[in-house]
Formats: sequence, C-alpha cells, structure tokens
Amino acid sequence: MLAVTAWSDYPEEAAALPQVGDSNRLDLEAIVALEPDLVVAWVDGNSRSQLDRLADLGIPVFWLAPRSFGDIAAAVTDLALLTGQPALGQERARAFLQGIRDLADQYRDARPLRVFYQVWDQPLMTVNREELISKAISLCGGVNIFADLPRLVPRVSVEAVLAEDPEVIVTAGRGDTDRAWLAYWQQYPGMRAVAAGNLYLEPPSLLQRPTLRMLEGVRHLCTTLEQARARL
Amino acid sequence: MPDFKTLQPLLWLALAGLLAMALSVSLGAGPVTPADTFAVLTGAGTPLQQTLILDLRLPRTLSAFATGGLLAVAGALMQVLLRNPLADPYVLGLSGGAAVGALLAMLAGVAGVLVSGSAFAGAMLATVLVFGLARGQGSWTPSRLLLTGVVIASGWGALITLILAMAPASRLPGMLYWLMGDLSHAGSPWPALSVLVLVCLLLFPLGRTLNVLARGPMQAAALGVDVGPLEWLIYLLASVLTATAVTLAGSVGFVGLVVPHMLRLALGNDQRLILPACALGGGTLLVLADALARVIIAPEQLPVGVITALLGVPTFLYLLYRSGR
Repeated sequence: MLAVTAWSDYPEEAAALPQVGDSNRLDLEAIVALEPDLVVAWVDGNSRSQLDRLADLGIPVFWLAPRSFGDIAAAVTDLALLTGQPALGQERARAFLQGIRDLADQYRDARPLRVFYQVWDQPLMTVNREELISKAISLCGGVNIFADLPRLVPRVSVEAVLAEDPEVIVTAGRGDTDRAWLAYWQQYPGMRAVAAGNLYLEPPSLLQRPTLRMLEGVRHLCTTLEQARARL
Repeated sequence: MPDFKTLQPLLWLALAGLLAMALSVSLGAGPVTPADTFAVLTGAGTPLQQTLILDLRLPRTLSAFATGGLLAVAGALMQVLLRNPLADPYVLGLSGGAAVGALLAMLAGVAGVLVSGSAFAGAMLATVLVFGLARGQGSWTPSRLLLTGVVIASGWGALITLILAMAPASRLPGMLYWLMGDLSHAGSPWPALSVLVLVCLLLFPLGRTLNVLARGPMQAAALGVDVGPLEWLIYLLASVLTATAVTLAGSVGFVGLVVPHMLRLALGNDQRLILPACALGGGTLLVLADALARVIIAPEQLPVGVITALLGVPTFLYLLYRSGR
C-alpha cells in the first residue's frame, strides 16, 4: 500500500500512510506522483470523472461495488489475485462465506423481528433491501420495515416509522451524538421498540464497511437482535 | 376603518387557510382517515393516532403556516421598503447569515435547539451588519441598502460554499435539506405564530403610511411622513419576521417573493389589505406545499422548498399573463 484516502483507519498501519484526498475529492497530482501500479476505487463513493482521468493517464483502476456478501468475497479474491497472493485471498474469502453461512443456519428459524435501521437523523434516513446492512438484518432473522422502498437510502418521516411500529431500532455509531438519535425515540413510549427498551447502537466500522470485517459486524448484530427477541 | 367589502378577501383567505390546515392534518404516511382525525381532535382515537396527529402533524402544520405567513409579510415589506419588485426576504443576506450560523452548528456536530439558535444569531448578525454598513456616513438610500445587502449576501454565499466543501460527506444531506427549507424538524410553532400576529397588529395602524411610502419617499415626505425612521422600522420588522421563519424551517424560497405579487395582482396595492392577506395567503400556500411534500412519495419525504416553487411558478406566471392582457 502506497497511500489511502481520508478516514482509512484499518488496519492501524493505514492511518500512518500518506493521504491523497477524501473519498469525494481525490488529489490527482499526489496520486500520479506516487506512480501506483493499481488504484482501487469504490463505485458508490468515488468520483467517476476523477478516476477516469487517472485511467486516461495510464494508471489501472479497479472498481469495486459490493452489493452482497458474495460480492465481498469475490472482491477479496480479485484483489488477492491482482496483488499476487491468490491462495491467501481464496482462503480468506472461503472463511468469510463459511462464517456468513453459519450465521444464516443459526438464525434461519429465529422468530422474525421488525427492525428499523436508522442511517441518519436529520433528515431521517434508512436503507432498502438492496443495501448490505438490510441483508445483514435479514440474515439475523430481522425484517427491515422499509425494505420495499425504491431507493437505496430513502428519507422517511417520523410518522412512517411510528406507523410501522418496529420492535427494534438499530443505528450504527459511537459517542453521545449517535446515542441522542436513539434517545429521541423515547418520547414515543407507545412504540414497541421503546416499550421493550430495544434501541441499540452497533459498532459502525464493522457494519457499514463492506469488508471481511463485516462478518464480525453481522455476528454482533445477530447477538443484538437475539437480545432484543428476549425482551419482547 | 375599512368596510366589510374590503375585508371580504381576508375572510376567504382565512377560510382557505383553515381548509388547508384540515387537509394537511388528515394527510400523511400513517393509517389515519379524516374520520379518525376528527375523532382525535375531539379527544378520542387510539394512542398512535393521537401521537401522529397531535404531536406530529398539528405542530408541523402550524409551523408551516407560521413560516409561510412570516416570509410573505416580510417579502411584502421588503418590496415596499426597497421599491423593487424583485426584493424578497432574503435579498439583503439575512438567510445567508442564518445559513452560515446553522451550518457551522451542524459542522460542530450539534443538533436541535443549538442549530436553530445559531441560525437566529446568524440572521441577527446579518441584519446588524447590513444596517451598520448601509448607514455609514451621511444619508442612505434604498439603493444603497440594497447594494450593501446584496454584496453581503454574496459574502455569505461564499462562506456557505466553503462550509459545504469542507464538511464531511455524512453531514451534507442534513445541510442541504436545511438550505432547501425543510419542516420535518421544526420545533414548537407558537413563538413564530406569536411573532406573526404581533407584527401584523403593529403594522395595522401603519397601513396608510406604508401606502404613501410605496409611492416614493419624496411624495411621502411631502405628505408629512417621517421617512427615515419609518424605513428603519420596516427593515427591522422584516428582519425579525424573516429570522423567525428561517430559524423554524431553514431557507424556504419563493414564498416571500411571489405571494405578495400574487395578492397584489388579485387585490390591488393597498398595504392595509395586502399585509394581512400575505400572512394568510403565504401560510396557506406553505401548508399545502408541506402536505404535498409529505405525501407525494410517502413514506419518503421531499423538502418543502421544492414544492413551493413547483406550485408557485405556474400560478404566478398565469396571474401575470392574465393581468397583462
């Protein structure tokens, strides 16, 4: 690894590498000056036009757009191949998929739980079924109440959440600001999630980043939902 | 004292406002029929229905009415003050100051009352800044006030762009919704409604004087109006109105520019009639727009500023076309 974008903090060594812009705005000159053999980009986050410029300059760009657990495993296999360690990549990918399958088996017959996953508070945003987090919720035996909305990250009203009356509210975050998002719902004690005390904060970097570490995030989420079931 | 015939349009507008509010309270993503709404308003209904209507829809509807009314009256006052048909409540940079205040608060990671308070402080700072600079030395004129305000507004615009460029991506949606005008996190509507009613009562005895001023400062002075203090009073009132509206709902565009013009095309240019008509008409327009913003793609939501423009542009063009014939 030569360089990273801002907010790259895993593994710890990544934070020490030179930063070449953030995910929206890359510092093209700095990247060209480093003469990389490969640039790995993320379809949903990076600027298409900037990376096309890099490709025009003869730097190979490898695009990733993981939309499923299988996509994450495939991305790892591909990256391992590109960096000359195909065996290691296959092994890590296989272990990841096995872990996901084990979780799926474990929670296949769990009682379905109605879950509201909160991405942001102002505006209030959630995810539909296409988003990986929604897939993680179903894997753990949860039902995303807004799975059927047409957009990937829809903006919804407080009223719509109250009307759906979820049994669990989950958000990913750490710190007091994010806890305040959950505290907000306490003013509606009639909601099943609030009455049962089912408001949870999940570790964000495990659940929101589509990497091998997501297995750990999904496992954490499944445990949380199991805890929620016990309280209903 | 105006007779019944002149007051008639106000009664119609008030009726329209009440109907719009009834519609807005009955519409939404939740399972509530108009019959349920009536039941809740008379004290019955399930706890969920009571929460939806009394805690969510009613305050939001009243906030929408207050915001629309405040902006329309502020716009009408600015148009009289600057004697410029393009003037709106934001032309002197007040919304820019409020936006910088609100966005800085969001950048710092705070929410709720601190964002509103910061927006109000920004709006007041913008008001004082324009007031101080436009006064400068010697006499001032509306064109000097306008130029000072427009230049300061550009300055705020640059600061807004700077904040947006530097903000982490995760905070951008909240910031953009604030800039577009959004009622989903409006707080209690009562302070704003009180400001609206108080200012309208205060303006009522000034109506005749404002009519004279609208004809030009020379004529007004010749007719015995003390123009200077009156103009500063109008500026101050319009600023308080706008700051209150922006604090409640962010910068909702369009209402303050177009509602006064629409009402003038329909009712003539008598400020005694136009100012209260603006309070009612602006409120009604925003209540309807917000109801649509909530239901068009329900349960998803649109920012209300989009709807005000989509509704207002064709209506205004139609009125303009008709009046030109």
